[in-house]
Amino acid sequence: MDPMLILTFLAAPMAASLIVAGIHAYLGLHVVERGVIFVDLSLAQIASLGATIAIVVPWLGGDPHSLGVYWMSLAFTLVGALLFALVKGQAANIPQEAIIGITYAVASAAVILAMSQSAGESEHLRDMLVGNILAVQWHEVWTTAGLYAVIAVFHYAFRHRFLLISTAPAAAVAQGISVRFWDFLFYASFGLVVTRSVAIAGVLLVFCYLIVPSVGGMLYSSRIGPRLAIAWVMGVVVSVLGMYFSVWLDLPTGATIVCTFGAALALMAAVRPLVLRLP
Amino acid sequence: MNFWGIGVLALVASLAAAGPAAAQMRVVTTTEDLKALAEAVGGDRVRVTTIARGYQDPHFVDAKPSFILALNRADLLILVGRELELGWLPALISSARNARVQPGAPGYLDASAGVRILEIPTGQVTRAMGDVHSQGNPHYWLDPGNGRIMAASIRDRLSQLSPGDASYFADRYRAFDARLAQAESRWEALMAPYQGRKLVTYHRSWPNLMERFGLEVIGYVEPKPGIPPSPSHTITLIGEMKAQGVRVIVVEPYFEKRTPQSIASQVGGTVIQLAPSVGGVPQATDYISLFDYNLAQLAAALK
Repeated sequence: MDPMLILTFLAAPMAASLIVAGIHAYLGLHVVERGVIFVDLSLAQIASLGATIAIVVPWLGGDPHSLGVYWMSLAFTLVGALLFALVKGQAANIPQEAIIGITYAVASAAVILAMSQSAGESEHLRDMLVGNILAVQWHEVWTTAGLYAVIAVFHYAFRHRFLLISTAPAAAVAQGISVRFWDFLFYASFGLVVTRSVAIAGVLLVFCYLIVPSVGGMLYSSRIGPRLAIAWVMGVVVSVLGMYFSVWLDLPTGATIVCTFGAALALMAAVRPLVLRLP
Repeated sequence: MNFWGIGVLALVASLAAAGPAAAQMRVVTTTEDLKALAEAVGGDRVRVTTIARGYQDPHFVDAKPSFILALNRADLLILVGRELELGWLPALISSARNARVQPGAPGYLDASAGVRILEIPTGQVTRAMGDVHSQGNPHYWLDPGNGRIMAASIRDRLSQLSPGDASYFADRYRAFDARLAQAESRWEALMAPYQGRKLVTYHRSWPNLMERFGLEVIGYVEPKPGIPPSPSHTITLIGEMKAQGVRVIVVEPYFEKRTPQSIASQVGGTVIQLAPSVGGVPQATDYISLFDYNLAQLAAALK
């Protein structure tokens, strides 16, 4: 195969994965700090459900790329975000993880039900899980970059506020900050990102971009700055490596990147004792 | 009048009332194309239901209870054959417990008898080759010539099962044949400028259609039948399309569009959705409008 052909073909997918890795590494830091790991899996699945229903209802014409699909998907995600923000506020009679898990299961099953009445069921279900990042086109890259840039600016402007409610919510309450309101803003902006990412990369890959680089950072540092740096580097390196393996071994790209994340994290954990012993 | 008298009267009355309804044969077909042909030939003497819908992949059908019920009551089952329904029909037929439609019975019609079959594999067929049909390509109904042969088979079997209506079926076949012949000359005129043009399709659903109208398929989005697109196959296909100046990709309604669209954007081409069966798109309401739609789409894309 002509290397130039491979590179031109991979250019847009590579750009998309870098953009996704960038914002997800940051958001993942918060998600891991809050200890609600599965909220993103659940929100991603709710986003998929919204997109599926949008594709299946006749009045949107069944075009998976239409703006109507994104808005419907987003509406579902925001309802989910609202749900999770509200449930967190309850005294811990119902564990939030239970609600998150139930939502994930029901949303997944609902997608299967929605697709059972439509053509292309198994393809859609597979793309929902691992995405089809190789098929991303440049106009999708630009719209994604634009959206994430806006969110990034928003989060940078209020970074101290968001960091406080993620790391020390009790202190935030003591300062008189409305934690519930900022929680909702966090989940809402998170939802905007996840909805877009899931359409490109699928539920499993979005989960990996969110959690794995952040955990990699935690292995090597306790401070937010270095953690973020490690997470960004890990996200970029694994994306490039995963795509290379996918083309070289001719395997589905999304699933290959997920497995590469796993292998990379295992490696980072394995060499940690050696690295941390250095002066 | 005693109990038995009323019983006999009721029985006679119900038989008399059931008279006209009983004259309608219950036909079950596996695809909407067969339904369209059965209705064209059978007219109001048949009531036809189909198992697979035109927008579904006919290789994979979920066995719903309503299908077993329909098969249990059927007088005639018409199938495409050539292993198209191999994955799901045998189980349905045996669950249906209807002796009339078991293989070998008069109510079991394999519509592939006498048609032109392409891509018959030579040598050994293994799973490593993908989902290859050992008896040739089963999407043979996409050639009007084969449609004619299938309609004749249906006419003959309907006449065998209902000899009293044989002349009715013969008349309806002749009318269908005439309509088809007229449509064929229209289609040939439409496709004449595009003889020898090349394109790419998602799955191997189209060899009969392409051969009949003089088009050439140079590659498939699937690396092998039934195997989803892989990175290196997609890259190789893009290279081939660029080298041969191919810019049209044909996709069936039940496949994902993202990969074909990204390939098309790389080669500056278009993706068109064709209907592999009647009912595959809303405009394909019967056998003739199926070709009207598909050929109009092809002609517009190849212009």
